[in-house]
Amino acid sequence: MANQTPAVVMDNGTGFSKLGFAGNDSPSFVFPTAIATKGPAGGSGGTGSGRPAVANKPSFLTGGAGPTGHLSMKRGTEDLDFFIGDEALAASNGPGIAPRILTPTLIVRSTQDGPSVDICTRPGYGLHYPIRHGQVENWDHMERFWSNSIFKYLRVEPEDHHFLLTEPPLNPPENRENTAEIFFESFNCAGLYIAVQAVLALAASWTSTKVTDRSLTGTVIDSGDGVTHVIPVAEGYVIGSSIKSIPIAGRDITYFVQSLLRDRGEADSSLKTAQEIKEEHCYPVSQAPRVPPRGRQVTVDVGYERFLAPEIFFNPEIYSSDFLTPLPVVVDGVIQSSPIDVRRGLYKNIVLSGGSTLYKDFGRRLQRDIKHLVDDRIRASEARSGGAKSGGLEVQVISHKRQRHGPWFGGSLLGQTPEFRSYCHTKAEYQEYGPSIVRRFALLGGPGGS
Amino acid sequence: MLLLDYQNVLIQSVLTERFSGAPPAHIDQTVSDFDGVTFHISTPETKTQILVSLQIRCFKELVQYGAQEVLQREYGQYVVPPETGYDFSILVDLENLPADKEERDELIKKISLLKRNAMAAPFEHAYSEHYKLKEAASKYTSEEAPQGVREGGEVMAIHYRDEEAIYVKASHDRVTVIFSTIFREETDRVFGKVFIQEFVDARRRAIQNAPQVLFRNDPPLELQGVPGVRETYGGEVGYVTFVLFPRHLTPQRMPDVISHIQTFRDYFHYHIKASKAYIHSRMRRRTADFLQVLRRARPENEEKERKTASGRTFRVQGA
Repeated sequence: MANQTPAVVMDNGTGFSKLGFAGNDSPSFVFPTAIATKGPAGGSGGTGSGRPAVANKPSFLTGGAGPTGHLSMKRGTEDLDFFIGDEALAASNGPGIAPRILTPTLIVRSTQDGPSVDICTRPGYGLHYPIRHGQVENWDHMERFWSNSIFKYLRVEPEDHHFLLTEPPLNPPENRENTAEIFFESFNCAGLYIAVQAVLALAASWTSTKVTDRSLTGTVIDSGDGVTHVIPVAEGYVIGSSIKSIPIAGRDITYFVQSLLRDRGEADSSLKTAQEIKEEHCYPVSQAPRVPPRGRQVTVDVGYERFLAPEIFFNPEIYSSDFLTPLPVVVDGVIQSSPIDVRRGLYKNIVLSGGSTLYKDFGRRLQRDIKHLVDDRIRASEARSGGAKSGGLEVQVISHKRQRHGPWFGGSLLGQTPEFRSYCHTKAEYQEYGPSIVRRFALLGGPGGS
Repeated sequence: MLLLDYQNVLIQSVLTERFSGAPPAHIDQTVSDFDGVTFHISTPETKTQILVSLQIRCFKELVQYGAQEVLQREYGQYVVPPETGYDFSILVDLENLPADKEERDELIKKISLLKRNAMAAPFEHAYSEHYKLKEAASKYTSEEAPQGVREGGEVMAIHYRDEEAIYVKASHDRVTVIFSTIFREETDRVFGKVFIQEFVDARRRAIQNAPQVLFRNDPPLELQGVPGVRETYGGEVGYVTFVLFPRHLTPQRMPDVISHIQTFRDYFHYHIKASKAYIHSRMRRRTADFLQVLRRARPENEEKERKTASGRTFRVQGA
């Protein structure tokens, strides 16, 4: 390993990008997946960012000069005039001020509080988020985002390094191909591996002492800022048909805490305070009361949002009126809809991942609730069968130290294994077969691996 | 971002966070920099002592040209015996920091420039050699100068990558820096040529102060007889020569010039990649435009044959 460069692990999520080198225990850089370019915000040109603006004439008649300020009209070095990450947020907030903003949600706040200045119309930089719902929407921006992450932040020559990227479950193969095109043709990277986030999250759970066999079978509960997914994985392959998502995640918890604060008439009920309370003080109730929490609100003293906030996963009716299925029921449903021969493994290995699962004892509470559901069902079927005894079913929810950046850590873990390089596709292979080669990757860390 | 930074952003951010008085924490990170340089930031004994180690491929050569002295000068009291597997280490004690905030920032800056400083040695060596030769040459007219003064110093080779090297040679009126570059990709070679041509032309067109740049595919005369310089094969290797004139060689400009010239290769490759990204962006745009044209060319209401289940067709009368 002495002369080998470490692999670069990049986990680009909707909200935040995690970048670093394989073998480390935490990402080197975590910053918002945001890019600030000169000109107004919003999708101008590019693919995917809505419909391209309608020109009066086709652009080949007007010499490529459409009505939008697209890059292709520019002849100077405008294409290099952009910022990513925290710098992007600062730049888009107007030149000169440059406050340090940590989360995208705060942007909203700063526009509301400010003297009604619209960021979009301000001269300077417009902010874009190239990833929506986990999938890359604007490849132009993403390409430049990657280029800057590699050269400015990680400071590596892509030709010397192998790259491990992540993708959400059910990512269309075309997106993979686009990614490969960028990495092989623009960056000439030495090798590329694209892994599914859920599988990496499973690999990250191997650090937990509760995990005895390093299997890639399990249920991943991935709760980030925007959405919560429950993903069953069998032997390293995602069971796509059984994936369920829950429209409650980190941002909703923040809003919920904020609304609780407002209800109580607190002096400070800003989103930032709400977020701080959420991150620092919240925990789920370990002895879940059977009474609906709505009734309890009246009797509980100041600070009830501490345990009420994570409670919206278990009793969503306290927050939303359209989504009412508690998380344990969803998890149970997901496993029940998976093939029968892997269900036991899925129950046994429920892995948490993402920032919204970090609450203390969240895993224990979840395990208890799922166990209840399972035991109830076993008892009912025992009663129906008339005397037959079930051997029981083991339910285990695994929480571990690396949960916050689970997929990144899993990538770091797998990226440092000696066989990682042989699993990557190289540029030569790419040129031989074309972009479709990245539709298939050998399973990293699967059976046969170490 | 037109120019690349010289400092390592990660070291900078880690140290800034640590120095700001945050509670001490365990650090253990291995990070890369350009040209196969590896850093290891760790807290081996206590959480308040941060060890930053550097591993660089050509350290032996650098030492030969005085890297140890340069680093000693820059880091002085912080230098510790190198960690095993690394070439150079410095240890910072958080309990023993300079009290002044500016001094602390200065220290962060210095440490994040570790790679730059290590690589700076041969250039500084060349500078001092140039001064010496200049001094010596001023005693003669150009014809009668002894061989040694006219020819200049020996060529210093730094094999900073597997197949690429920097050669530095000082003489009494100039310092010549030669990069050997290699391109694996046909397209990159084309981009590279265009870029280099820009460099060559820049001086002719607008920027008279720029150093002279030459590009050729066979080893320049300066490198004749230097071990390790192979005859060109297949046009893959190119030699980029920078000639630094006395105006660049003043002691005041030295740090800037050294930083700039060191990042040349990375800058070069970064811009090749950035221009590819730009071209891709235009290609995507054009495709989107063509698709739009296709969409517009589609007839408004396409005549579709409608059939019943049994296969009979209808035609609207009078249409």
